[in-house]
Amino acid sequence: MTQSRLRWLTVLLGLMLGLPPGMARAEALYDALSSFDRTMATFNPLGTYVRKPIERLSPRLTFKGYLREAIDVLVQPHEKVGYRNQDFRFLQLQTLLEIESAYHIASGLDLNSLVHAMYDGAYDWQSSQGLYADRYDRSVKLYDSAEQVLRELYVSYRAPSFDLLVGKQQVSWGKMDGQFIDIINAMNRSESAQLESEDYEWRRLPMWMVNTTFHFGSNSLQFLYIFDFESDRQALPGSPWYSPQIPPPGIDRRRPTRTPRGGDFKAHEYGVRFDRSMGALTYGFIYAYLWDRNPVDHVVGTDLVNGQSALRLEGEHARLHHFGATADYATTLAQMPMVGVLPVVFRVEALWTKGVVFIDYSKQAAARLGVNTDATVEHDTLRAAVAAEFGLPANTTLILQGAYYQTFGWDRSLGYGFGGGISDEWTLIPLVYLSRPFAFSRDRLSAQLTVFPMLSGPVHVWQGVKTKLRVTYKISQFINTQLVYNSYDGGDSTDFYGQYDKWDNFGWELNYEF
Amino acid sequence: MNSDAGSRRGRGFEWCCAGLLLAALSCPWARAEEPTWRTLDQLSPAERTAFDPATDTPRDAKLPYVPAEAYPFQAPYTAEEMGYRAAEFTHIGRWPHSLIDVFGVITGSGYINQGAGVSYVWQSTPPGLASYIYDLPAGQDYSRWLFFFTFPPQSEAEQQLWIPYRTDATHRTKMDFFIYSPELRRVRRQPQPRRDQRFPDNAQTFDDVVGRDPWEFAWQLEGTDVVHQTIRFPDTRPTVTFNVAGKGFVEIPTGAIKPLGDDYPFYRPDGGIDCWVVKATTREDLLPDYNEKTLVYWLDKHYFYPVRMEKYNAKGELIMIEVRNAKRENTALPDGFGYAALMSLYWDVEHDIMSYSVHDGVRPHPWTVQEAGMIFTPEFMRRQWLVEPIKSQMLIDDPTQYYLRPQLYAGRFPELRKIALSTDLMERVQAQEAAGHLVFGAAAEPGK
Repeated sequence: MTQSRLRWLTVLLGLMLGLPPGMARAEALYDALSSFDRTMATFNPLGTYVRKPIERLSPRLTFKGYLREAIDVLVQPHEKVGYRNQDFRFLQLQTLLEIESAYHIASGLDLNSLVHAMYDGAYDWQSSQGLYADRYDRSVKLYDSAEQVLRELYVSYRAPSFDLLVGKQQVSWGKMDGQFIDIINAMNRSESAQLESEDYEWRRLPMWMVNTTFHFGSNSLQFLYIFDFESDRQALPGSPWYSPQIPPPGIDRRRPTRTPRGGDFKAHEYGVRFDRSMGALTYGFIYAYLWDRNPVDHVVGTDLVNGQSALRLEGEHARLHHFGATADYATTLAQMPMVGVLPVVFRVEALWTKGVVFIDYSKQAAARLGVNTDATVEHDTLRAAVAAEFGLPANTTLILQGAYYQTFGWDRSLGYGFGGGISDEWTLIPLVYLSRPFAFSRDRLSAQLTVFPMLSGPVHVWQGVKTKLRVTYKISQFINTQLVYNSYDGGDSTDFYGQYDKWDNFGWELNYEF
Repeated sequence: MNSDAGSRRGRGFEWCCAGLLLAALSCPWARAEEPTWRTLDQLSPAERTAFDPATDTPRDAKLPYVPAEAYPFQAPYTAEEMGYRAAEFTHIGRWPHSLIDVFGVITGSGYINQGAGVSYVWQSTPPGLASYIYDLPAGQDYSRWLFFFTFPPQSEAEQQLWIPYRTDATHRTKMDFFIYSPELRRVRRQPQPRRDQRFPDNAQTFDDVVGRDPWEFAWQLEGTDVVHQTIRFPDTRPTVTFNVAGKGFVEIPTGAIKPLGDDYPFYRPDGGIDCWVVKATTREDLLPDYNEKTLVYWLDKHYFYPVRMEKYNAKGELIMIEVRNAKRENTALPDGFGYAALMSLYWDVEHDIMSYSVHDGVRPHPWTVQEAGMIFTPEFMRRQWLVEPIKSQMLIDDPTQYYLRPQLYAGRFPELRKIALSTDLMERVQAQEAAGHLVFGAAAEPGK
């Protein structure tokens, strides 16, 4: 688009803002926007007045941070949805501040920390009976405990062929979008279906561990020793993304979950990862002996309540063996129709998990009848993905990714278990991702479209589709903003995406990094 | 139809105005009595001695797309040989070194986006283009470039590993490309960027960085010219501070910066550089669908350093101008082969965006075997280890301190160079020339 067309776009914007259709006024608006651009070019108050003075005071200290404002609002509240009272509009009104610092102690030796503070106004700034999770867990709206605020703290030592990181940290394994071999840290999954890989950085729950890597040639070998435990945090009852299909507690009695203790040597976790790169191909393997991050209800007894048999349930985390592999390969395809030369990368990743514990509802029914069983069963699971990323003209990126989840030995009485098919024996998500910047905006404006259709069998077949459209605009080299629209369509109310059919929402984010 | 005709008339008027402005903007040297540029039939006897007009020279026995005469050739030079010599000087020098790349982009409205990244360059072959041509089979990587970004804050600790390949007609993959994103905490292999496509938020293309193989073009000498200025500083920026190897930060008046540095021995008395003007036309059999159909180079006559380059699309329209300031960064290499880009400026004429790249703190860096094995691998990026920090003070503080758009050289080689800028853009250029710095907003269009 020529400068002239850009100016006419500005004129149009002026008209849309209600300015009189005079050329002089439009020119004034054009000037104002230009002036705004130039002002924002150097607008970095926290960098100028906080970061720089601190780093000047202590040259060994690197200090940076970001401030993020995120608002998600339902397109339309629906009052009664399943078991929920959806009388709220805002899904989040979140302010997140993160400060990252690294103090250079000596050659190769650093002390690193990441602190963050979060406040979610969704519970305070709207009148709602349906949102009440903050009444029994303040952490859903405010991080105010030391453990939450001090997100990461570790000492790192680097030598040419050796890394050692000791302390509270997060480790990300894998190369794919989504979680396949990325299994080390627990995750805050309170956003349920809205949670995506771009959020993992601030949704992972760091853990205390020893993390060491040996480097030799094009190979690396990493060992993890985790002397801490964190479980996933799921959406709580009365939180925005709590499933509308979960009924209120019945007559069954629930005892506190048995959680592995970090101080117990036998409860510690281990992981090992090997990576190798050889030209156009890189590959790696992992093994990890971890706790299932989500407890599974075990029947530990029965009671008679008003003449009915009620189960005594106790959540318990199971030990899991994980075996995984990852690989990617790059090539350039020549003389492709429409696009000519086509650079492409193929990625594959898979995780086999042995001995995943599932609730077995047929056994639970038997337990009510007096059969002595804890009503759980073990099955192996597989989750895997194959992706192709294409570099198309006009800086357009297209990713096609098929993600597959399978529970071996599945039957209809099984509940949820790590890594397997979602409410089914198998699940397939053929994801499509398309991204491109717009040249008329000088690439400041870009759009990304992601479509997540979910198929499964043999029960559900079609579990709905999630569609995410995001438009990002760079205000300056320090600030960007984005508008996001998420929709959940199709499937039944018991399906993974189908249950959130009434959760279509708009989001707005403002990110400032300094 | 009427409106179409009207539109065409309006367009014609616009181009007419632009043409008049172009004439008004011709640089002072172009208005001098004797033009600085000469076509082929106007070459001096000395120039005719140095130039071999042959177009069908013998080919190398092993590499039929390469001239039989051994690189770096002997005078007289054919146009093709000049193109090969110019290919010596890619954006990133062809020897092991380290530097900090400070770069940025600006739009006509004054939006500015900058970055800085410490860059480590390792090479598996001896320095220079000769080893790239003769020593490596096509399809093999010859170098590794690791970039560790230190600015802006949102890019801090982001890293990229580029592993470029020797290519030919059958081996088209130009490089392996890996990124590390601190946000994802993952190393990911990426598809190589499309060669003729400018990077997002930038005027520079992938080939502008990696370089173009000279055998992918048909070369033709168009004449000679004298270049006096390449990168121009605004009057709002009287000095700049370079990180000079062994000296630290050195403040230098911008008026004292010469296009090929202080060491270049062949400046004319008026400070100009004698140049060959060479046209490179894309070979359709090797680069089908390549957007940059014609490249016009201004090569200094002694080292063949490309101080200026223009790109034209399939319609013959100017799409980009690149100008460079260079410096003899590697004194171990003789005869000008140690020159490397100190500052490069890319003006995308279509979108009026201008990118710069400053290579600061450059020093040859003979990496040890242990260092090379450790640093230049994809997995190294996960370590988030800036092994040797390099600092720079070349970031621009304010949009008004940005570099000027390059000179248009209106009137030079009119048969070859079709420069048809829109009236808007010409007015912006005119306002810049009058003010001595970039002018933004409607004020840049005095007629409005």
